[in-house]
Amino acid sequence: DKLSVLDTQIRKYADGNPQEVPSEEDLPFTRIKLYRDDEEDELSSVRTQAAWVVDLPDARHTATMLQWLKKSGLETPTMSHLKRIRKQEARLTVLLALTAECPQVPTLPNVPALSEPYVIEVPSSAALTQISLKHKNTFWPTVYAPRKKGELEGWTRGRALWACEAMRRTVEEARAAAERDELPIAAHVPVPYETEDREATQMSTSFLGHDTRTSTGHPLRHAALNLIRSIADFRASSSRSAAPSPSPSSVDSPTSFPLPPIAGEAPAPRNGAHYLLTSLTLFTTHEPCIMCSMALLHSRVKEVFYLVPLAKTGGCGSVACLPALKGVNHKYNIGKWRDCESVPGWAEEEGIRINDDVDA
Amino acid sequence: MNSEHLCWMKEAMAMAEEALAAAEVPVGCVFVRDGRIIARARNRTNELRNATRHAELEAIDEILADAALTPARTAYPLAGTTLYVTVEPCIMCASALRQMGIKEVFYGCENDRFGGCGSVLGVNSKLVHPKHAPYKATGGYLREDAIMVLRRFYITENANAPIPKAKVNRVLKTEILPRSTSGPANRD
Repeated sequence: DKLSVLDTQIRKYADGNPQEVPSEEDLPFTRIKLYRDDEEDELSSVRTQAAWVVDLPDARHTATMLQWLKKSGLETPTMSHLKRIRKQEARLTVLLALTAECPQVPTLPNVPALSEPYVIEVPSSAALTQISLKHKNTFWPTVYAPRKKGELEGWTRGRALWACEAMRRTVEEARAAAERDELPIAAHVPVPYETEDREATQMSTSFLGHDTRTSTGHPLRHAALNLIRSIADFRASSSRSAAPSPSPSSVDSPTSFPLPPIAGEAPAPRNGAHYLLTSLTLFTTHEPCIMCSMALLHSRVKEVFYLVPLAKTGGCGSVACLPALKGVNHKYNIGKWRDCESVPGWAEEEGIRINDDVDA
Repeated sequence: MNSEHLCWMKEAMAMAEEALAAAEVPVGCVFVRDGRIIARARNRTNELRNATRHAELEAIDEILADAALTPARTAYPLAGTTLYVTVEPCIMCASALRQMGIKEVFYGCENDRFGGCGSVLGVNSKLVHPKHAPYKATGGYLREDAIMVLRRFYITENANAPIPKAKVNRVLKTEILPRSTSGPANRD
C-alpha cells in the first residue's frame, strides 16, 4: 500500500517540535479570507448581535456584580471580545449574556437597585483597527485586537498534526459509509486541541457523522446536519439527567456516535460555555452545501475544514461564503485542504469522490 | 391579498403562538398539499438544544416519516406542496426547501439577519444550482402579526426570576415601519 497524502502530511508534522509555528505555506490547508480588516472602518459595517445587559446605579456594588458574573456561568468564549462594564457619565451598565446563548431573561443576583435586564445590540467581534474600535465602542466597549502580520492564530506543528489526524479519521468514516452504500461524505468534531477549549466545551469525546440520505430516503440527512444533531442530542441528554438517556431514534442518527460519558464524571453544565458548537472545529470530506454551511453558522462552530471543494453547490467559499455575508451574526473560519486540488485523482484514490452536482 | 393564503397563514401564526407559549423564538409554519394542511410545526431550538431545529425542518421530518404522506421515495418529496411560514425562511431552510423541491413559499415578515429568500441571500431562485429548480417566495402575508409576536417574545417577563420585577424600561413597540417597496415582496 502506498502512503496516502494525509499519511504523508501526518509524518511531516509528527516530526519536530510541536510548539514550533510553521509558515502559512507550510500548513496543510489554505485559509479563506472572510473580510478585509479595513472593511470595518465604516460605521455601517459594524456587525452586532443582541445581548442582555443590566443597569447598576450604585457603583459600590461593581465588585459584587463582577464576582457573581464569574460564577453565574453566563460568560462564554463568544463574549471575550466585549468588556464587561460600560460607563456612561455616572451610569454603569453590566453585560450579562448574548441572547442567542441565553434566550431567557437571566436571573439576577440580590444586588440592590439593579434594573431589570434588557436587550441591546453589541458588536459581534473585536475591533481590528482604531477607527473600527471607535465605532464599536458606540455600541458597547469592545476589545482592540489588531491582527499581527503573519500571525497564525495558534497554528503550531502540534495543532497541524491534530488537524491532519482528525481529517484522516473523517476520511475513514466516509469510506466506511460508502461500504454501507451511503454517499462517501463524513463530518467529524474532534476533542479540541487546546486544554482550555476542551474544558470550556466539555468535549471529552469526539463525534463523527456521515451522510445517510440513501438509507433513510431523506434528502436532508447530510453529514454535517446529522453530526450537529448527534451533539445536540448528547448535550440535551447529559444535562437532563445524570443517567445516560436512551440514544436518539436510529433512523435519524449516524451509526457511530459516541456513548455519553459515565454519570458523575461530567462537571456541572455551565450555561452557554458548552452551547451548540461554540469553540469547536468541524472537519468534513466535502465542502458543505448552503443548508449545512448555514446550519454550522447557526450552531456557532469556530472553524470548518474541508478536503474536496464543490464548485457548484458549496456554501463555504464556492457558490457562496456564508460566514462572509454581511448581516449574519456569527463568523467561522474556513480552511480548504491544500493537496486535494493540487494532486489529481486524490478524492478518487481516497474513495470519497462524488458527483459535482451533489449537495454535501 | 388572496384570502386562501391568509387563511393558511393564520394557521401558521397559531403555531408561532404555540412557540411563544413554549418560550421558543415564535416562528410557525404549515405545509399545504391538495387544499389541506399535511404538517404544522414550530421552532424547537431551545427545547432540543439544536439551533437547526427550525419550524420548516421539523415539519419536513414529520412529512418524510409519515408513509401516508411520503408513500414512495422520490427525488423531490415536496414537489406538490406549498409552505406558509410566519417569517422568511433562513438561508439554511431556503436551501433545504429547494433540495426538497418545494412548489412555492408564502411568508409573513422578512428576515434581515438570516433571510434566504432574498433578504440576505436569494437561495430560492437567484443562486444557481446544477439540479434543483428554483421556487417562488412571496412575503407580506400577516406581516404585522409576525413582527408583533417576535417582539412579544423579546420582552417576555421571566417568571423564573426569584423576585420578578416590573419591566419599567421595556415597552412593547407597536409601530411597524412599512417595507421599502409597497405591497407583498415577491422574492422569486
